[in-house]
Amino acid sequence: MVKVCIPRALLYYQYYPAWKTFFERLGAEVIISPPTNKTILNLGVSRAVADTCLPVKLFFGHVMSMMGKCDYIFAPAVTSLGNKAYNCSKIIGLPDMTRALIPECPAILGPEINLDKGRYHFYRNIYDLGRYFTSNPFKIKKAVEESWRSNLAYQGKMSSEGLTPVEAIDIMCHGRQEPDSGPAPSLSLAIAVIGHPYVIGDDYLSHRLIHLLESMGVKVLVPEMVPEGTLYDAAKRLVGTPHWSFETDIIGAGEYYMEEGVDGVIDLSVFGCGPDSMMVNFVQHRAKELKIPFLHLSVDEHTSDGGLLTRVEAFLDMIKWREKICV
Amino acid sequence: MKTYLGIDVGSVTTKLALLDESNELLASIYLRTRGNPVDMIKRGLEEIGRQMPLDSEVCGVATTGSGRTLAGVMVGADLVKNEITAHAVATMSCVPDIRTIFEIGGQDSKIIIIRDGVVTDFGMNSVCAAGTGSFLEHQAERLNMQIEDFGPHALKSSNPARIAGRCTVFAESDMIHKQQMGYPIDDIIYGLCQALVRNYLSNVALNKEVRPRMAFQGGVAFNKGIIRAFNEAFQTEVYVPPNNELMGAIGAAMLVRGEMGNNGRRTRFKGFGVSETEFEISSFVCKGCPNLCEISQISADGKVLSRWGGRCDKWERVETIR
Repeated sequence: MVKVCIPRALLYYQYYPAWKTFFERLGAEVIISPPTNKTILNLGVSRAVADTCLPVKLFFGHVMSMMGKCDYIFAPAVTSLGNKAYNCSKIIGLPDMTRALIPECPAILGPEINLDKGRYHFYRNIYDLGRYFTSNPFKIKKAVEESWRSNLAYQGKMSSEGLTPVEAIDIMCHGRQEPDSGPAPSLSLAIAVIGHPYVIGDDYLSHRLIHLLESMGVKVLVPEMVPEGTLYDAAKRLVGTPHWSFETDIIGAGEYYMEEGVDGVIDLSVFGCGPDSMMVNFVQHRAKELKIPFLHLSVDEHTSDGGLLTRVEAFLDMIKWREKICV
Repeated sequence: MKTYLGIDVGSVTTKLALLDESNELLASIYLRTRGNPVDMIKRGLEEIGRQMPLDSEVCGVATTGSGRTLAGVMVGADLVKNEITAHAVATMSCVPDIRTIFEIGGQDSKIIIIRDGVVTDFGMNSVCAAGTGSFLEHQAERLNMQIEDFGPHALKSSNPARIAGRCTVFAESDMIHKQQMGYPIDDIIYGLCQALVRNYLSNVALNKEVRPRMAFQGGVAFNKGIIRAFNEAFQTEVYVPPNNELMGAIGAAMLVRGEMGNNGRRTRFKGFGVSETEFEISSFVCKGCPNLCEISQISADGKVLSRWGGRCDKWERVETIR
């Protein structure tokens, strides 16, 4: 069977269930790279240009860790998902960068997904992608339809059950048990963690921030727990029509959760992220207006999590102090 | 007499403060960590034991600072607290109308915004150590000067040199350039102080509502040149509280006093005999997965007290401390 590798990085966290369904319906076997670890990081950093951000470097590391284990690497160029909103240039250039930096890489499946160029362009590219596996156009059409259905199921699962992307993928694709809904622990604070899913969801990159917060008795809310339309409306209220694809997730979720009255907002971003440097400021100003505690955490390659822990502890102390729960 | 001990283990210095029940400072010590926190904590404890009044008894110990976990395990702390909360608590008690705290230490700098006796916002330096004590110290070394002499030199300057403050590497090349151009040393040093303050205000204090009354503390507050630069930047006097270098330790002691008073617990403090105990710190690389985490462990008399440094719970603390 033809083996397609999906690197566990970047857009994996948003579209893995859809991609997996698509390739499996076309008769391919889908494998994913292991969770990020130090070896993968070192591999990625050794190849990437110094100026790219850490998640992109990790993507290259994931690709290199799967060398010789698959026939194809899936690295799409997701340029735009419509509404004239665009992705970061590093995501748009992903297949080309991968090809240039890792010449010994297996064949790259790198279709351009640009809904702003119209439906025909999209169908054509997906059809060309499907042709790697079958010459039957109806089979491709059916795979696309089922892929779309899994995407809806995935999004629905996260928003209706309040799951993070990693939890939902674990349950839907890796056969992990649903968490038993026993007596929920009494959580004193609700905090929204906003940022790119590929930063928050990657345990190595995020220093297990979600786990850390939960162990401190915090109910963690991430953007994916809210339906996309609601987020889009919230982003539009705050900044107008989004220009970046991630604005819906980051600005929209920030605005939505603050209106809902969360106890605090934590923004987790990686050092050197261009779009974030602009988006985060909007959320920060809004938090100030609404007098909601806001913490900006910036992570990079460092392995020590002492600085992160100090900031998170002080942030929670501050919130409890303000709400007179006592320090 | 009941007393409470606060231990602040920073990257560059270790501070200990002993308070009585009315927050009066009974004994204190300020030591350079010199990369050896264990020995400094032991020396500090020994010194406090010598200074403390005879009829007193330690009823609670709290640790803070970047070495708080290690110190907490060593002495048997009742409370392990981050340094931001500790600083805020200490400053509010001695300056009740405080609204902004600047704290510049060896490796990090912070700003704490306080309104009506409650911390409403804080910030810390993000990715680099430009604008902290170790940078100043490094430059002093390069100018072949004691860091203590920086202040008097800076105060003599009347025409400060403009030094780039964004990055230590650029600042250093700027300084060398100005030196070669023949600028007097006083002007270069004060220019450096101004650069540090400028960097602090545009990085750490960015988007924060800085309002008087402002306090400036931490080790760098000993430097008169930086105080002058802060005063000039704000056109108002920035207050340096007494014992500014001990604020973290004092705050920790105050917090543990509240904690122990509220629930009437007995302290877990192991006593001043800790300074006699042989601690052994070792580290090893966990080979359980490709992450190869560096695990540190501290043991006393052949018994492992605690381990940390892993990305998972495999080597989690042997003895859990709160």
